[in-house]
Amino acid sequence: MTPVFFELRNSVVGVAGLGGLGSHVAAALARMGLGRLVIADFDVVDTSNLNRQQYYFDQVGMAKVDATVANLRRINPEIAVFGHQVRLTAENISEIFGGVDVVAECFDRSEQKQMLVETVLLRMDVPVVSVSGIAGYGRSNEIVTRRISDRLVLVGDGVSGSGPGVPLTAGRVGVAAGHQANAVLEMMLENGRKKERRSWQ
Amino acid sequence: MAVSSVLKINGLEREFPSEGVPETLLDLLNALGICHSTVVAEVNGRIIERQNFVNTRLEGGESIELVRFVGGG
Repeated sequence: MTPVFFELRNSVVGVAGLGGLGSHVAAALARMGLGRLVIADFDVVDTSNLNRQQYYFDQVGMAKVDATVANLRRINPEIAVFGHQVRLTAENISEIFGGVDVVAECFDRSEQKQMLVETVLLRMDVPVVSVSGIAGYGRSNEIVTRRISDRLVLVGDGVSGSGPGVPLTAGRVGVAAGHQANAVLEMMLENGRKKERRSWQ
Repeated sequence: MAVSSVLKINGLEREFPSEGVPETLLDLLNALGICHSTVVAEVNGRIIERQNFVNTRLEGGESIELVRFVGGG
């Protein structure tokens, strides 16, 4: 067991949004051995999600938080997951993600991305890995990870917004989610945060 | 170049020769055609809350970072 293993097991990550990005980032972190996750999404699983989000046909209609908790427990029964079926706002973000070591911005709408990144940078002291520009097909090599500032990392091509005729697809979203999970891990290790843990053990 | 006619935006110097730099950060975003609701902004290393774009005055010579978000996730 490596130092990375122990760092992961003793870390907490907040995942904002459980769509194409969040559902995959959460699963990747669980598989890598992350100890604790705080996840938030108000939405329920829809059949239209199944083309790119990590849910299954028999989960349609379930709250995404509940479906994700179930999926993560099947991957890694030891992971602790704290789910919030809420709409995240500037007012509740620092409370819901209080105590996490890194935040993963996995929203769909650009205004929500702006709101979350601004709120984490202003009201919290942890890094945030955000995503912008992952729509369309193929072009894997155009998805990049960029360190924007001390606490902000940005994944994506920066320009490919989703919209009519420009769908989100499993391949490209998957590439971005992999970048994001890796960046979350790297920020976690770089900072080696030894925050005081809550007594949820 | 007078300081009051130049801004550094995302690492690149940009001149505003005829009228000087825009008065406020919001004016700058409008001049650049950037929607305020999808951009995170730093002026001289300090992040500016979106509701304060309109009353963040620019004198010229500032270093400004603008991170634009597009939808999809």
